[in-house]
Amino acid sequence: MGDAWIYAQRGEAAEEAARMLAELGFSPRRVAINGSLRPPGEAGATAPRPDLAMVLDDRGDATPLCTRLREDEDLGGVPIVVSVEPEDLELNPEMLEVHELIVAPFTAAELSARIARARRAVHGIEEDEIVRSDELELNLATYQVRVDGEPVDFTYMEYELLKFLLTHPRRVFSREALLSQVWGYDFYGGARTVDVHVRRVRAKLGSEHATKLKTVRRVGYRWES
Amino acid sequence: MPTDTDLTLSNRDYVMRTVEERGVRFVRLWFVDVLGMLKSIAIPVTELETVLEDGVGLDGSALEGGARLAERDVIARPDPRTFQVLPWGTGACTARMLCDVRLPDGAPFPGDSRHALRRVLGQAADLGLTMQVGAEIEFFLFEEGSDPSKPPVPLDQGTYFDLTPLDDGSDFRRRTIEYLEQMGIPVKASHHEVAPSQHEIKLAHTDALSMADAVTTFKLAVKEVAREQDVFATFMPKPLEHESGSGMHVHLSLFDGERNVFFDEQEQEPLSATGRAFLAGVLAHARELTAVTNQWVNSYKRLAGGFEAPEHVSWTRHARSALVRVPSSRPGREAAARIELRSPDSACNPYLCFGLVLAAGLRGIERGYQLGAEAGEDPPPGARALPEDLREAVALFESSELVRDALGDRLCDWYVRNKRREWNEYRKTVTEFERSRYLRAL
Repeated sequence: MGDAWIYAQRGEAAEEAARMLAELGFSPRRVAINGSLRPPGEAGATAPRPDLAMVLDDRGDATPLCTRLREDEDLGGVPIVVSVEPEDLELNPEMLEVHELIVAPFTAAELSARIARARRAVHGIEEDEIVRSDELELNLATYQVRVDGEPVDFTYMEYELLKFLLTHPRRVFSREALLSQVWGYDFYGGARTVDVHVRRVRAKLGSEHATKLKTVRRVGYRWES
Repeated sequence: MPTDTDLTLSNRDYVMRTVEERGVRFVRLWFVDVLGMLKSIAIPVTELETVLEDGVGLDGSALEGGARLAERDVIARPDPRTFQVLPWGTGACTARMLCDVRLPDGAPFPGDSRHALRRVLGQAADLGLTMQVGAEIEFFLFEEGSDPSKPPVPLDQGTYFDLTPLDDGSDFRRRTIEYLEQMGIPVKASHHEVAPSQHEIKLAHTDALSMADAVTTFKLAVKEVAREQDVFATFMPKPLEHESGSGMHVHLSLFDGERNVFFDEQEQEPLSATGRAFLAGVLAHARELTAVTNQWVNSYKRLAGGFEAPEHVSWTRHARSALVRVPSSRPGREAAARIELRSPDSACNPYLCFGLVLAAGLRGIERGYQLGAEAGEDPPPGARALPEDLREAVALFESSELVRDALGDRLCDWYVRNKRREWNEYRKTVTEFERSRYLRAL
């Protein structure tokens, strides 16, 4: 499932959440609630991105943290699940902005369902690990792409680029951002490579779906869902 | 940002799942020898997981292009990013991956052309630069089953850009393009070339390593389509004495991030100052690189034979037959600023060719080489001639400091030994030229 970063004050609450997340297949890491948004030793442009941010709001003061997460350049697109104590449920307008709320204490089954809802809200990922955009289907479990019901062969990097754009809809990414997020550092191709791959992905999607992969002049690319 | 390990693991997972989903039965592991000739080992998918983890052992002399020396064990490690289901072939669904060749301790094998190119790309990356490459590749189609001692028989008498019933090749080109597109190699254009039965396909620009992989794949795709149609395709540089040869014009541009550093915003000059220094570097070292851009005995018959093939070290915007052309058809378009190297032939090793040309250009930038005057229809006075034959080219290559820096001594030495052997075989050959001229007269 990928990395899950747990933002918590209290150690025992974090340990319990880490255990549940590990059970659900995530690799959990602990992050202090008031410090950097990243686990110790991870900073700057090379820091990894988690697949989930789990915020344990055990003191009713997590709102500023959620705002910082949403506004962070790299972490902005990460699904956020906030767990709150029942007494803090009194409606806080900021809480409308998080992707999913869960009331402590909770079971692993409930957490799993809440995470699935958060991922669908953010990335459009359905419960069966399929991302859909009209008649375009991307299967995250099998790496297969179907266009209008027909399987289409994508190379690995074409698939990864389409997956990234499709699961971060409506956000504009520069070529440099796509290179670092999709290709990683061990690559000498340069920013033009992104254009080359976009052209190929568009060709494989066919004219109707291709129009959703928008070029934003002088900025980069965006998926229009 | 994905780390190297993340990428490798998810790459492998992608390969394993795709193999399963698409019913792939065999996977071909591809690598090239020092001459760029494609080699392949087929493995059944049951072995795939182990091979992705550990690679597959082979005898390193397989990479030395036939100049078998000491046996040495090397490991071919498939690059999962190059996984592709092969669109051709009958029966069992087959895929391919290109390999990097390593020594048993994990270090790169010095004879691996892919690694040699990567190393030069790494040097460019250290300067913040990346190279984009486009290629126009020419080849001939001939009747199958002809006698190799006689000139091959063309399939048509079409000429430049012909689209007539004579052009049996248009179906051929359409089919080839379909295969290439399916393999993620975008084609820009294709047409009938000047000579009978000669064709050209232009591959859209991409990064240098992907382009070298694409050229390698392209040659096989063309040969596969030819086989399907009961003809044969050849990338031999000069198959017909009185017709043009097959070149591979290489278009190069250099980027710093998203900025094309060859582009001159003032448009006073055909290239920016960096572009001019790069071009000066390519020209200054062109003679040393010729053993790689034109690596066969036969390559020099193309260069000697006219038909707009370059014979001198020169550059031009408008004239034909210069070594480098600086296209100026779309001024003001930043992405189009590039240089076109016209000497390489379709039978060169694209990895070493792109790597050495880049190394020469970078040296021009680093040392501030000055670009000489532009050539008109005739080469400028004092223009140096390209090597006349393989022997001369290999001597220049061997003593080039640039070549040794870029490729490493081991690779250079193998290459030289290989090419000397070819020259010595050729030297001993009694040719038609000699028989027709001397047999009765002397």
